[in-house]
Amino acid sequence: MMEKVISGNDAVALAVKLSRVKVTGIYPITPQTYIIESLSEMKDRGELETEIIRVESEHSAMAATFGAAAAGVRAYTATASQGLLYMHEMVWWVAGSRIPVVMTVGTRAVGPPWNIWNEHTDFMSERDSGWIMAFASTPQEAMDLSIMAFRITEDERVFLPMMVGMDGFILSHTKTRVYVPSQEEVDSYLPPRRQPYVLDPEDPIAMGNMFSPEDYMKLRESIHRAQIASKEVIVEAGKEYMKRVVPIGSYSTLNESYKLEDADYAVVVMGAWSLDAMQAVDELRKEWLKVGVYRIRFVRPWAEEEVVKALKDKSVLVLDRSVSFGRGGQLYTEVKASLPDADIKGVITGLGGVSIGKNEMKAIIRKFVERPQGIEWFYPKEVGKIELRSPRYIK
Amino acid sequence: MSLGVRDILNKHKLMPGTSACPGCPENIAMRIISTALGENAVFVVVAGCSSVIQGMGPNSAYNYPILNVAFAAGPAAASGIAAAMRTKGKNVKAVVWAGDGGTADIGMASLSGAAERNEDILYICVDNEAYMNTGGQRSGSTPIGASTTTTPSGKRHNKKNIPFIMMAHRVPYVATASVGYPHDLMEKIKKAKEIRGFSYVQVLCPDPYGWMFEPSKTAEVAKLAVQTCYWPLFEYENGVLRISDECLHCLDKRTRKPIEEFLKIQGRFKHVDQQKIKELEEYVDEMWEKLRLMYKGNLKL
Repeated sequence: MMEKVISGNDAVALAVKLSRVKVTGIYPITPQTYIIESLSEMKDRGELETEIIRVESEHSAMAATFGAAAAGVRAYTATASQGLLYMHEMVWWVAGSRIPVVMTVGTRAVGPPWNIWNEHTDFMSERDSGWIMAFASTPQEAMDLSIMAFRITEDERVFLPMMVGMDGFILSHTKTRVYVPSQEEVDSYLPPRRQPYVLDPEDPIAMGNMFSPEDYMKLRESIHRAQIASKEVIVEAGKEYMKRVVPIGSYSTLNESYKLEDADYAVVVMGAWSLDAMQAVDELRKEWLKVGVYRIRFVRPWAEEEVVKALKDKSVLVLDRSVSFGRGGQLYTEVKASLPDADIKGVITGLGGVSIGKNEMKAIIRKFVERPQGIEWFYPKEVGKIELRSPRYIK
Repeated sequence: MSLGVRDILNKHKLMPGTSACPGCPENIAMRIISTALGENAVFVVVAGCSSVIQGMGPNSAYNYPILNVAFAAGPAAASGIAAAMRTKGKNVKAVVWAGDGGTADIGMASLSGAAERNEDILYICVDNEAYMNTGGQRSGSTPIGASTTTTPSGKRHNKKNIPFIMMAHRVPYVATASVGYPHDLMEKIKKAKEIRGFSYVQVLCPDPYGWMFEPSKTAEVAKLAVQTCYWPLFEYENGVLRISDECLHCLDKRTRKPIEEFLKIQGRFKHVDQQKIKELEEYVDEMWEKLRLMYKGNLKL
């Protein structure tokens, strides 16, 4: 293990290399592009044994990755935003085939209008696809979860693909201290590739052809059950990771609690701004406001028991960096479904790169505690003054 | 070639009990092609009749490992398989099996990308000139004048000439074939399998239901398409064009059978007028003029 100052994209590229990925289908899209550039450079320098397929679209990136994985090797790809939406069909195809694949999503707003900055709507739009979905809050975690992903997806209790979300620019491009494990450490952690079916002329099985309604529904149920079974696999993989690979981190649970034990109020967040929320909480605690943070790390599987245990007696504020139009924030609806009788409020903010830092977090939490009306959409003060300029006739 | 009946019968790559319609040209094509391909192949089947012909999963009438994928994903998925097989040190050919809709329309970008990268895969397009699996709608490969369920009064535009598009990609091997000429098709597939790099074979597959002819006449229609020179048989290997013996007569318009003979044996051209026939003939003439120039070495795509 060694210490390096690198970006989230660098950290993920290193994770791919250390996991001995054999094939990766690559296509550029901001803000994950640096991952695939970094892999290409490593390949050119002879440091990477991975076959790189430089495809012509994200749909093909996932298709090529899927084909390689189905043929029996570790396969990886990365995408973001429009790219994830473009590959949406193949994202489903992989999960429906129960084939382990790992993907990074450098989260970003979805157009129109064009916006390259961060939000979580692209990632959250894949909640129903059958993938395991983790979300990092630091470059360190992006790397850790990416390595763990191979172990989790290739466990016979799971056999599902996994995507790791990472806030675009905020994590993907920001350099920070990361503990990078050695090849030996990762080798001792990742077993050889396992998967439910392999394309092999010596055993000519067919994958994905027409199923009877009964068989189809059984397969759907198996995906659901594998998602639920993956919870214990994730915890095992996390504990083992801390033992063998990187001894820092908090991977013995799916999600993470911060100062929640004695808290009256809980703020639920996901991703990089969890750390801003934690800072805000630290400062609010000095004002004798008993508030803590609950950080969602796994959107799928949903850690129902953990969520209920952590939040059941508290007033809950859920911050969403994404929106399901006409309904509200996705995390809000998830938390609400776990605690139907609890006092829960949801706030949507930070969309399309609107900057939400520690001070904005404090303002949101204070408003929540004071209970004014109409804080479902929160804008920082300086943004609040700006009028919508386009489309022209919409008030 | 030395393929006797015994060899063919012993292959068993197309199992009994497919869900194909009577007279299905794709079923015929699979029998011929699998005989030529033999072992060490993995099939990628994109959405189309062939996703259905193989029968209800998890069983399959195609005795190959098969990855069924989404419509536009075939060439990319095959690229991934080829890469994986390379890293495993296995000599296995990844074969894409797609219809003309999956090829000329929705899969074009993916096909072009795989060709540009010169992936070591074999792409087979079984061309029945419409979306037959969904009931016979027009595709980019439907010829001018042909009526389909979405062009009831006849298609207004020419067939997209995909073999020419593929030749323009300068891939190592491009060929056309017809289920009416099994030996020609078999030879081409055998050759394509040995090519290192991208090869493309488009097989004309006359469909009794979409084209509206008796299911017993599939081979006859497939032959007439070649004899009237509507469908050329050629192969393009490393920039050199070879015309198959079966249609050398097409190089000269005077020795071609009239195209009407091909049109009148099927129902989809029933309503065409002389103007449309003329336009179809112009398409055929122009195609053959290009092929003639390439054949003489005076044109390179």
